[in-house]
Amino acid sequence: MSSPTDTPPREQPHMNPYWAGFGLGLVLLASFVIMGRGLGASGAFTTAVATTVHAVAPAHAEGNSFYAEYLGDGTASPLKDWLVFEVLGVFVGGFLSGALANRLKFTIEKGPRITNPRRLVLAAIGGALMGVGAKLALGCTSGQALTGGALLNVGSWAFMMCVFGGAYGLAWFLRRAWL
Amino acid sequence: MCPMIEFTNFRHNPGIDPAMHIWGWEIPVYLFLGGLVAGLMILAGFRLLIMRPNERQAMVCCTVGPLLGLALLSVGMLTLFLDLEHKLYVWRLYLTFEPTSPMSWGSWILLLVYPALLANALAHLPEALPVVARRLPVLVTISDYMLARPRIVISTGLANIGIGVALGIYTGILLGALGARPLWSSAVLGPLFLFSGLSTAAALLHGILVLTTPDAERPEFADFLLSMLSRWSQARPLDTRIAPTLAQADNSFLTIELALLGLLLIGHLSSTAVHQQAAWLLLTGPYAAVFWVGVIGLGILIPLSLQHLELQHRIRHTIAPAILVLTGGLVLRFVLVAAGQASHWAPMLD
Amino acid sequence: MNAPFFKYGLFGDEMSLVVAFGIGIAFGFFLERAGFGNARKLAAQFYFRDLRVLKVMFTAIITAMVGSFLLARFGFLDLSLVYLTPTFLGPQIVGGLILGVGFIIGGYCPGTSCVSAATGRIDGMVYLAGMIGGLLGFAEVYPRIEHLVKLTPLGQVTLAEQFNLPYGLLVFAVVLMAFGAFVAAEWAEGRIGGKAPDADSLLTPARKFGPARKFAAVLIALGLVAAFSGSPYRTALAQVDTRQLALEAGTKADHVMPAELADWIIEGRNDYLLVDVREPAEFAAYHIPGAINVPLAELKQDFARRNERIVFYSDGGIHAAQAWFLIRALGFPSVYMLFGGLEEWHDTVLNPAAPPADAPAKDQVDFARRVAVAGYFGGSPRRAEGPALAAPAPAAALPKLAPPPPAAPPVTKPATPAKKKKKEGC
Repeated sequence: MSSPTDTPPREQPHMNPYWAGFGLGLVLLASFVIMGRGLGASGAFTTAVATTVHAVAPAHAEGNSFYAEYLGDGTASPLKDWLVFEVLGVFVGGFLSGALANRLKFTIEKGPRITNPRRLVLAAIGGALMGVGAKLALGCTSGQALTGGALLNVGSWAFMMCVFGGAYGLAWFLRRAWL
Repeated sequence: MCPMIEFTNFRHNPGIDPAMHIWGWEIPVYLFLGGLVAGLMILAGFRLLIMRPNERQAMVCCTVGPLLGLALLSVGMLTLFLDLEHKLYVWRLYLTFEPTSPMSWGSWILLLVYPALLANALAHLPEALPVVARRLPVLVTISDYMLARPRIVISTGLANIGIGVALGIYTGILLGALGARPLWSSAVLGPLFLFSGLSTAAALLHGILVLTTPDAERPEFADFLLSMLSRWSQARPLDTRIAPTLAQADNSFLTIELALLGLLLIGHLSSTAVHQQAAWLLLTGPYAAVFWVGVIGLGILIPLSLQHLELQHRIRHTIAPAILVLTGGLVLRFVLVAAGQASHWAPMLD
Repeated sequence: MNAPFFKYGLFGDEMSLVVAFGIGIAFGFFLERAGFGNARKLAAQFYFRDLRVLKVMFTAIITAMVGSFLLARFGFLDLSLVYLTPTFLGPQIVGGLILGVGFIIGGYCPGTSCVSAATGRIDGMVYLAGMIGGLLGFAEVYPRIEHLVKLTPLGQVTLAEQFNLPYGLLVFAVVLMAFGAFVAAEWAEGRIGGKAPDADSLLTPARKFGPARKFAAVLIALGLVAAFSGSPYRTALAQVDTRQLALEAGTKADHVMPAELADWIIEGRNDYLLVDVREPAEFAAYHIPGAINVPLAELKQDFARRNERIVFYSDGGIHAAQAWFLIRALGFPSVYMLFGGLEEWHDTVLNPAAPPADAPAKDQVDFARRVAVAGYFGGSPRRAEGPALAAPAPAAALPKLAPPPPAAPPVTKPATPAKKKKKEGC
C-alpha cells in the first residue's frame, strides 16, 4: 500500500560529465543524420512569442519584420515548427530524467548569501539579456555553440568564446549570488 | 516523384473550398467535457457501489467528482449551445423523441445526467463539506435518508454507471452519425471516446489527490491557497489511499484507449480508399504531428509510463500525468473533429 | 541509404515534427542528467568549482564533430546538406558577450532553463518569463537596428574554409584541444576550486586505464584518422555515377506531375525552387506563379544552394531534361522536372478537359476539383470533348494567361529566403 506521501529514495548524483556529454553528442549527431540540422532552443520561444503577439495584435505583428519572419506565410500554424516540437520534447525529457533521479523539487537554485526575491530578479534580468543576445547572435548555446561548434562554424566558435568571456568577465561581481 | 511528398489534401484548403470548416472549438470542447463527465459518473457510481459501510470516506470519487462533473457539464452545455445556429429553438429538442436519432438520444441523456450526478454528490456531501451542511441542514436530512436505504444508494450508483456509459458512447456516436465523413464512420468511435473520458476522469481525480496531499515539495503559494480553501470549506482531507488505485485504473483506461485508436485506424486502413485516405490524414498527413506528439506521445504513452513508474515506487506521484492525460484527451477530440471534417468521400487524385 | 534522411525526402514536414519531439526528449534527458537543470551547478563553472559545463559541452561537440566527419567521409552523410547558420561576425560577438553576461546573472541558457523549469526550479521558470520579455523588447526595436544585425556577413562558412585548412586536420586539432582543456579543467578544479577529483577522472593518480581514459584514447585515435582522411564533402565526381544517373532518368522518380505542382503552390509550400529554363522573353509572357527564370545557358554550379529541392520546367520537356542532367551532374541531390512541361501544365491544370457525360461519378467529382484548381490559376476548363464547343480554343488562349488573381492566397516567392530555411538555426 502506498500513498502520494511515500517518501521516495534520495536524490541521485548527477551523471559523469564526460558520459553525459557523449550522450548529448550522440543526440546531436542523430539530429544531423536524420534531419540535417542541429539542436536549438531559443527559436521555439521566439515563435511562441510571435504567434501570441499575432493573435493579440495581428496588424502589429505583421508590420514588424522580426515577427513576420517567424509567422510564415499563413498556410499552416506557425507553431507547427521544428524547434517548437523539439523544445516540447526537451521539457518532457528533462522531467523524465528529473523524476527518475528524484530531482523534482519546487525550489530556487541560489548561493547561500542571496535572498530569494533578489535571485528571482536576477534570473529575470538574465533571461531578458539572453533573449536579446540569442537573437543578435542567431542562436543560443544549443543552436550556436553546440551545433555550430560541432560543424566548425566560424560564427559559432567566435560566439562560444564570447559567451565564456562575458560570463567569466562578470563572474567576480556576482560571486555573492552563487558562492 | 514519390519520395518526398506528404499526403496532399486538396479540399482542405480555404482557397478552394471556403466553407469546409463548419465546426470551430465549441464541438471538440463539448465532446471532451461530455466524455470527462461520463468518466466521472462511472467512477462515482462504481465507488458508491463498492464502498463498505464502515469506510464512509469516499470524497474524491463521490463528492468532488460529481460536483466537478456538474460544473463541467454546465460549461459543456454552454459550448454546445454557443454552437447552435438557432439558439431560441433549443426547447424543441425536448418536444419529441426520435429513437433513430443520436441527437435526440443525446439531448435526453443530458437531461438525466444532472439528477444522477446530483444524487451521487448529495449522498456524502455533509461529511465532505461540513460548512455547507451547517448552513443548509436539509442536505444532512437528504444524505441520512439516502444512506439509510441501501436500495437508493445502489440504484443511484447503477444509474450513474448506466447513464455515464451512455453519455460516453453518445459523444462518439454523435460524430459517427454524420456519415458524410469517412473518418467518423466507425463503430469504434463510441467506445474510444468512452475510454478516453474514463482515463481523463481518473487522471483528474488522481491529480486532485496529489495536489491536496501534504507535500513538502509544493511551492509555498500553492500550499497557502490550498490551506485557505480547506479552512474556508472546512473540508476533510481527501482519502489519499485511493490514489494508486486511480493511477492503476487510469493506466488500464489509457491502454484500452490506445488499443481502440489502433483498431479505429486499422479498420480504416483495411477499408475502402476513402477510409484509407482518412486514416492517412492522421498517420502521415497534415494532422500527423499533432496526432503522434499530442495524442499518442504526450496524451497516452508518457503519462502511461509515468504512472507505471509511480506505481512501482520508482518516482514520486506528481500532477504531471493528470495534466498530460487531460490535455491529450482534449487534443484527441480536436484532432478527430478537424481531421474528420477534412476527410472526404470525394476520391483524391492518383 | 543517404543521410540526412529528411533532406533526401525519406519523410515529410509533418513527420519531421514527430522526429523533433523524439530528439527533444533525448536532448532534455541528457541535459538534466548532466546537471544542467541546476543553476548552481552551471554557475560553478565560472568559479572553477565544477567545470561541468566545459566538459559536457566539449565532449558533446567533439563526439558529434568526429561522428559527422567520419560518416561523411565514408559516404553515408552528405555534410554539405547539414544546415550551417550563416556567420555575422560582429553581431555574433556582441550577442555572445550579452549571452555570457545573461548566463552568469541568470544562471541558465535557454535550453537548460527549460529543463530546470520542468524539474520544478522556480528560478528557471522566472528566467523563461524574463527571456520572453527580452524577446518582446528586442522585437520592438528590431526594425530600427535590422541593418546592424546584418553587419559583417561572412556567409555559411566553416573554420576549415575560412583559414584554408584541411577539415580533418581541424577535427583532430579540436579533439586534442578539448582533451587538453579537460585535463586543465580537472587540474583547476582541484587547485582553485578545491574539489576532490571525480571517481572516473582523466587526472586520477592511479595508473588504471579507466573508462574516461579509454574514451579519450578512442576519440583521439578517431581524430587522428580524420586528420589524414581528406575532405568530408562529396565532390562532384564522387557524387555522380553516370550509370546511376542513367538508371534514375529511366524511372519516374525525377518527375513532378503538373497537378502535384499546382497543389504545392496552392498549399503555399516553400520547400522547393521552381526554375523556368526558357528565354526571358518567354518567361515574361507567361510563367507558373512563383517560378524564377534561369535560362539554360546560365545554369551554373552556384545558381542555387545545394540542399534546395529544384524543379525545372520548359515548354515541352527537352530543355528541362537537359537542365536536369546538367544540374544532377554538378552534384545537386534533389532535382526534378515538371512532367510534360508547360504544355502539360496548360492541358491538365489550366484547361482540364471535362470527362464525357457518361463517365463514372469518380471522374466527375475529380473534374469538379480540377475546375476549382484551374480557377485558382486563372484558367478555365474545356467544356466538352466535341470540337463544336471549342470556342475558347485552348491553344490560342494559352500564352496570354495572367498570373493568379490578386485575391488569391499567398504564393511562394523563392526569390526571398523562405521562412523555414531562415529558421533552421536556433
